[in-house]
Amino acid sequence: MAATRRLQKELNDIRQSGLKSFRDIQVDESNILTWQGLIVPDNPPYNKGAFRIEINFPAEYPFKPPKISFKTKIYHPNIDEKGQVCLPIISAENWKPATKTDQVIQALVALVNDPEPEHPLRAELAEEFLKDRKKFTKNAEEFTKKHSEKRPTD
Amino acid sequence: MTESITTLTAPISLSTYHQLSLTVESASIRNSGLFKPNPYLQLIIDDNISRRTEVIKNTLHPKWKEEFTVLVTPLSQLVLRLADHHSFRKDHIIGEKKINFLKILLYINGKCENVELSIDLMKSVSQDNASNGNTEVKAAELVLLLDGLRIDPSILNQSHEALGETSNSQSPLSEGVRCRFRIRNNLENQRSVVHLRALRPPPGPPPLSNGAVSVSALESGAGPSRQDEPPVAPVATHLAPAPAATPSATAAPTAEEPLPPGWEMRYDVYGRRYYVDHNTRSTSWERPQPLPPGWEVRRDARGRVYYVDHNTRTTTWQRPDTERLARFQHWRGERRHVVAQGNQRFLFPPPRPHAPHSQPLLLPEPLDADHDPPPSGSGASGPPAAPSAAPSAAGATGAGAGAADEALGALPAGWERRVQPDGRVYFVNHKNRTTQWEDPRTQGQEISALEEALPPGWEIRFTEEGTRYFVDHNTRTTTFQDPRPGAPKGPQGAYGVPRAYERSFRWKLSQFRYLCQSNALPSHIKITLSRQTLFEDSYHQIMRLPAYELRRRLYIIFRGEEGLDYGGVSREWFFLLSHEVLNPMYCLFEYANKNNYSLQINPASYVNPDHLLYFKFIGRFIAMALYHGRFIYSGFTMPFYKRMLNKKLTMKDIESIDPEFYNSLVWIKDNNIDECGLEMWFSVDFEVLGQVIHHELKPSGDKERVTEANKEQYLQLVTQWRMTRGIEEQTIAFLDGFNEVVPLEWLKYFDERELELMLCGMQEVDVDDWQRNTIYRHYTRTSKQVAWFWQFVRQMDNEKRARLLQFVTGTCRVPVGGFAELMGSNGPQRFCIEKVGKDTWLPRSHTCFNRLDLPPYKSYEQLCEKLNYAIEETEGFGQE
Repeated sequence: MAATRRLQKELNDIRQSGLKSFRDIQVDESNILTWQGLIVPDNPPYNKGAFRIEINFPAEYPFKPPKISFKTKIYHPNIDEKGQVCLPIISAENWKPATKTDQVIQALVALVNDPEPEHPLRAELAEEFLKDRKKFTKNAEEFTKKHSEKRPTD
Repeated sequence: MTESITTLTAPISLSTYHQLSLTVESASIRNSGLFKPNPYLQLIIDDNISRRTEVIKNTLHPKWKEEFTVLVTPLSQLVLRLADHHSFRKDHIIGEKKINFLKILLYINGKCENVELSIDLMKSVSQDNASNGNTEVKAAELVLLLDGLRIDPSILNQSHEALGETSNSQSPLSEGVRCRFRIRNNLENQRSVVHLRALRPPPGPPPLSNGAVSVSALESGAGPSRQDEPPVAPVATHLAPAPAATPSATAAPTAEEPLPPGWEMRYDVYGRRYYVDHNTRSTSWERPQPLPPGWEVRRDARGRVYYVDHNTRTTTWQRPDTERLARFQHWRGERRHVVAQGNQRFLFPPPRPHAPHSQPLLLPEPLDADHDPPPSGSGASGPPAAPSAAPSAAGATGAGAGAADEALGALPAGWERRVQPDGRVYFVNHKNRTTQWEDPRTQGQEISALEEALPPGWEIRFTEEGTRYFVDHNTRTTTFQDPRPGAPKGPQGAYGVPRAYERSFRWKLSQFRYLCQSNALPSHIKITLSRQTLFEDSYHQIMRLPAYELRRRLYIIFRGEEGLDYGGVSREWFFLLSHEVLNPMYCLFEYANKNNYSLQINPASYVNPDHLLYFKFIGRFIAMALYHGRFIYSGFTMPFYKRMLNKKLTMKDIESIDPEFYNSLVWIKDNNIDECGLEMWFSVDFEVLGQVIHHELKPSGDKERVTEANKEQYLQLVTQWRMTRGIEEQTIAFLDGFNEVVPLEWLKYFDERELELMLCGMQEVDVDDWQRNTIYRHYTRTSKQVAWFWQFVRQMDNEKRARLLQFVTGTCRVPVGGFAELMGSNGPQRFCIEKVGKDTWLPRSHTCFNRLDLPPYKSYEQLCEKLNYAIEETEGFGQE
């Protein structure tokens, strides 16, 4: 279990550090290669809800980067309808075996808080974001209310 | 072909009678009426001995268990007739089958001991009832047990001719006949079973028509437990306790879909989730995807699971998913280009016609026409059409052929020599109504067309060690120095020719050809195939011959297509079959990452229970291609060639097959890892078909942490593991098969890139298309280095161009759609020239990205020199 020990350690570190923006981490004890957790963004329009993500680690981790997908629908220029997200830190060109999952999560939270319309996965949302921020914010808020999960209370 | 078996002078032992115990066990009759039949089986041997079983009343599933002792010869014909007994009327035949006993003996290697035959009995159906125009349908299935007979395989081998002669007029054994050894005691029969599998159709199981073809089977590849075990919780000692990460496809929201019918989710004693498939009595860690429309799960007679695709009427061992199907579609799409591609490949362009001159004994007129398409197909009728002009070789045998023509003597009866309007010579076979470029008098002599002619009076000879020397009959002297004007001179290398020449591909190739020729066997072998079952037919015929026989001249016959194999047919066969082994449904080979062209052994190939035999077969086949100087459709990865050459694999070699993995290794190498919490130990994992396979890189590797101090060793061990994981047995089987036909030492002259050139040949490279589809970074189309680069490309010959292309893209082949479709490791990736470094640097390449790093050289001459050096530098340190 080459990846297991590393992931076990990373998981413990993350749990202990008590990240505010990544909560409710669930890992099936039988399969440490799959994590789920709640992204809790600070910035509007996403600060009205929480978003469940899944992180899948390959058997060859950390030689190969993990993959992240959103299980909760989100109105975001960098996250598509299927929940796929393009995160440079885990792209093939940038991946380093020393990159830790908490760095990946922080990069993801930053991307959710501050969309990057220059590298969109959903071009139409990026365009709306750039040209009509008000409308974008309104749509995203409504979408968040409708689809997102409850934010943890503590 | 019309010769019948009786006219053969069969060895006495083939017509000797042997005692055989034949037990008629049971049958299963398809229901076809209101009343159940009263079945009995009639057994007729060679049209004179007839035996019959008891009548069993009123059943569709008669069980007889009746043993007959009969006398048979290996050449016997058995007729099995299942009939319905009537008290008052004539008995009605339910179904019957004629069996050629020799074929069975050949498949089981003469060892007829406890062999179970399962036979489809057919009955004729009137035309209007028949589907697919077939007039025979399966009426029943019969199970027989043969025992107590053993015949020396060497006697059987003498009978190949006999079989070859008869096989044309009959359906092949594998149609409707299945065969296996029953287990008596485990160990001894283990081997036999493996051997026997030859009888079942290989990886691409049978077309569905009427069940006339034996069902081939597969076990569900995904299941962690083997099929022959009861479906218990998946526990295997070599598995990691954690099931694999859910593949991305199922990680998508669709994962919540209900399970397919017959599936159930369970938890094992460790609380791990697994899936039980009650249909196939198998288990899997992976959540099943529902089968695509038109697919069905079935089980073969041996209880193994396979999947039927009613859309394409094919079968496969692996459970189909969207990815596999997409790859299959892609593969099928290539098919129609395959033959066209084959006709475009060559190793060296045909020599230009030269003035007639006296030919030295050992150097007949070069035969270049071999690399042209056969001018007309089998269907030529009436006066055969003149061969269509082949682009690359027009005029090749034109003027020069006249003088040599005389020396060869008269053409065989029925042949005529003709000349095209453009002066090109072709040959007409009036008997068969075919035409061809190849001269029938010299056809089949595998003579390299690479050499320029020697001066008059000179001859090439070889020493006992195989070193070439030259005899000058004018002066009665000999020399190692090549007398031809263009030949390189200078200090002599290890092989007794100038060192500069030794490095040349042509010289190496001529050495290899010499080895092949001096080990050639007389006569020929016939391989008769049907296009629909190309893989299966080829497999059976190649594997049942002793390997050395495969060095005889090949004579390939496609059933139902007349025409003599003077090269064209076997060229086509090599090309088609080499494409066929890639069929993703066979899962024997896979493309190295997303780069479309290079093949590697698929670690998942083990789902195919007979995979090692297939790899041995493919090894033989690839060696045959080299031996007979034929090309294959698609090449292997560079690391695979290096393995064939027994070269040490380095970390660098990983880059071409798994760039992500490579980058991580490089990072580990280049950085101090003690501070970054890598948590790495001397153990590694990888995943095949949903199973995580754990491997300790050294004893107790799980307990040894990787540190800055020991990381060199770690990287070395990981590299070794990465290049062999999951494919070691297959590789050995492949090399075994290869080595039987062409000793691997014969390849020692070559490096991996040359091996690829030999195997795949070169194509005419369309430089305009290449230039049109090239992009630039930090250069522009008009930069002077770019202009020089294209000037350089245009003035080089095809070999050089192919090697330049290979240097940058990793393959010497261009995609079917031209340079616009060049693929990189992450999808489409055009040829790219980037300005990098200083003019003192050598050019470098990134094969994953089809990128050439071209430093800003100061002059055209400098650019030529550096590029030439980089291309010729075979050890690859010119590559990044």
